[in-house]
Amino acid sequence: MTTAELIRRLRESFGPAIRSVAEPVAGKVRVAVAPEVVVRAAKALTQEYDARFLITAGIDSREERGCFDVDHIFSLDNDNIFVILRASVPGDSPKVAAITPEIPAAGWAERELQDLFGVKAEGHPDPRRLILPDDWPDGVYPLRKDVKYGDWPPVGDETTDAPYPFKQAPEGTSTVVVGPFFPVLEEPVQLRLFVDGERVVDCDYRGFYNHRGIEKMGDSELSYNEIPFIAERICGICGFIHSSCYCETAEEAMGFRAPRRARYIRGIMLELERLESHLLWTGIAGHILGFDTVLMQTWRMREPLMWLCEKISGNRKTYGMNIVGGVRRDIPKELHPDILGVVDKIEQEWSQLVNAVEGDTTLRARLVGVGMLPEATARAIAVVGPTARGSDLHIDARADHPYAAYDEVPAKVITHPGCDNWGRVLVRLLETLESVRWIREALKQMPDGPILSDEIPEEIPSGQWGACTIEAPRGEAIHYVLTGGDNRPARWRVRAPTYANLQALPSMIKNETIADVPITLGSMDPCFSCTERVEVINARSGESDVINHEELLARSRAATERLRRR
Amino acid sequence: MIISKLKEALICFKAGRVTLPYPFQPHEPEGDFRGQLVVDVEKCVGCGGCAEVCPPRCIEISDPSHDKRVIEFFLERCTYCARCVEVCPEDAITASKEYETATNDRNDMHIRVEVFMSTCRRCGRCYEPPTPLDRLTVTGFRPPVGEEQP
Ligand code: SF4
Ligand code: SF4
Repeated sequence: MTTAELIRRLRESFGPAIRSVAEPVAGKVRVAVAPEVVVRAAKALTQEYDARFLITAGIDSREERGCFDVDHIFSLDNDNIFVILRASVPGDSPKVAAITPEIPAAGWAERELQDLFGVKAEGHPDPRRLILPDDWPDGVYPLRKDVKYGDWPPVGDETTDAPYPFKQAPEGTSTVVVGPFFPVLEEPVQLRLFVDGERVVDCDYRGFYNHRGIEKMGDSELSYNEIPFIAERICGICGFIHSSCYCETAEEAMGFRAPRRARYIRGIMLELERLESHLLWTGIAGHILGFDTVLMQTWRMREPLMWLCEKISGNRKTYGMNIVGGVRRDIPKELHPDILGVVDKIEQEWSQLVNAVEGDTTLRARLVGVGMLPEATARAIAVVGPTARGSDLHIDARADHPYAAYDEVPAKVITHPGCDNWGRVLVRLLETLESVRWIREALKQMPDGPILSDEIPEEIPSGQWGACTIEAPRGEAIHYVLTGGDNRPARWRVRAPTYANLQALPSMIKNETIADVPITLGSMDPCFSCTERVEVINARSGESDVINHEELLARSRAATERLRRR
Repeated sequence: MIISKLKEALICFKAGRVTLPYPFQPHEPEGDFRGQLVVDVEKCVGCGGCAEVCPPRCIEISDPSHDKRVIEFFLERCTYCARCVEVCPEDAITASKEYETATNDRNDMHIRVEVFMSTCRRCGRCYEPPTPLDRLTVTGFRPPVGEEQP
């Protein structure tokens, strides 16, 4: 389908409810609709056009047009089209009909909209706070423009000190509280598992304890060229993804693309980062399951890669190579043998590891059929990355919405029909080999030329926009940039892949044992950064029983040991 | 079971010993490393370009008197991006290979540069263009609109 056809069909179905249509760049359409039809339009997009929900971005446009804009972003993966469905709601009584009842994937995005913009999502099945802390006063919405960067909220009164309304444990279950710092997730999160004996029946989630307000900083403090360096610090593992994604998006909003050579360099660094991330993850997955040899060996293989990145970029992990318009450092010919040497070695050792893992019966027993995420659920919750591809969904931003140099050097999409932890593990293992192939290919085809564009406009008009996705190791990240005055964006929206994937957790751990929770979470690719305690509260007697991280890990490992002895 | 243990052992033996005797043997980073900043106080002309581009805002500029400018680097917040190195028109800042920056005294992470500015005898202000600011021609550098120029 082309965008013209899509617009024509939408106009046919919605007539005058479609207020305006803009397509500044081919394949990126923004359709402003009357707020009354936004649910119908969103439903039509997902059902008739097979669109996938990505994220919602709120925008405070009260100063310019007296309204809040609610932009629901969808992607049509088969046609390389992004559709932004915009509903503008009045600034004095901001509310919009929730699309979550129709599109479950929007659950968090709309809760976030309520928290940060105060735009009420009417009819949301779970309108509790998502991002703001428990004692945050009502009526202060941090991303509105009248809240200045650095403002402190007024201290809340007792009413705002009320405890968070967690879900009640179902009849006959006990609650296991994991967190507020969960061992296998990269964020401090609180997970309340409702268990019947060893089986998990349901769970509740509370997170965002570490919300850093980076989006606010981007639209009120930083300038266009400072954001890439702060964006790189959104994630400690896939930082380069965020800076690349921001730069590609900002370039699109400003109306040019980085030179070809710069795009190849971005691609190569992105794949090196994917290698790093997948190697790191494999080690951690091994550690959770009690295979510490895997941890030691994959991290040994990874170290030369870190040194290589240091040699290319000047830093082991935060490469700092991106700026709007291109990259700051070249990959000269002299470095090619170094890169090839490192990736060849990884490929050779990795192939052995893949063989060993595929044939390991203990591993299979721990992973096959555990953490089930059927294809239909995966699609409904709109999970991304290896979590989706492990459920046989063919989505990969590199192939669907090529960025950097992926339009010239295509990447193969690897899927697995397992829908379980095993499927997700295999997808990652095989993707590693694919990354090696891609790097080799890209080095071969890399064109000569400048690495920084000379088309960067002197003046950047406000009101232009761009939206791009980039396939991070754990799924696609999306950035949405709206240009503003003062040499900085009016809005910079970021969605990291875990945001989408975490929402699938309740269905993944349902009916699993507590011992399988760490690896199921782990199969979504977390960081092992936070090590805290687990508290078991008996729902009926209120007694609490404290389990620490070691014990949770020990339970997971004991499960492996039992299998080994069989 | 035994076989898989043996396989594991074999993989480990094959890899051999890879850990380095660091810190007893120093480890020099390769390539164009972006380590701790070194500022050549002689070269700095006080243009303020570095402070304009520093993403975490760890370079502060103040003018305590009309002919004196102080540029302070609070490097505990430095992100080692080396943007300041890139824009400095006088090449006064370099990123060294030093990465062992842990210290008990935060003053070790501060650099203070005092520059005496030549001023107009009549009005007492610093000289107008061409100033070193005009030499900040690195692509992408653009002072924020509407903010007071240093
Ligand atoms: S290296 Fe980057 S963070 Fe450090 S002082 Fe220079 S511009 Fe600031
Ligand atoms: S950019 Fe260089 S010359 Fe200008 S103030 Fe900074 S250190 Fe001094």
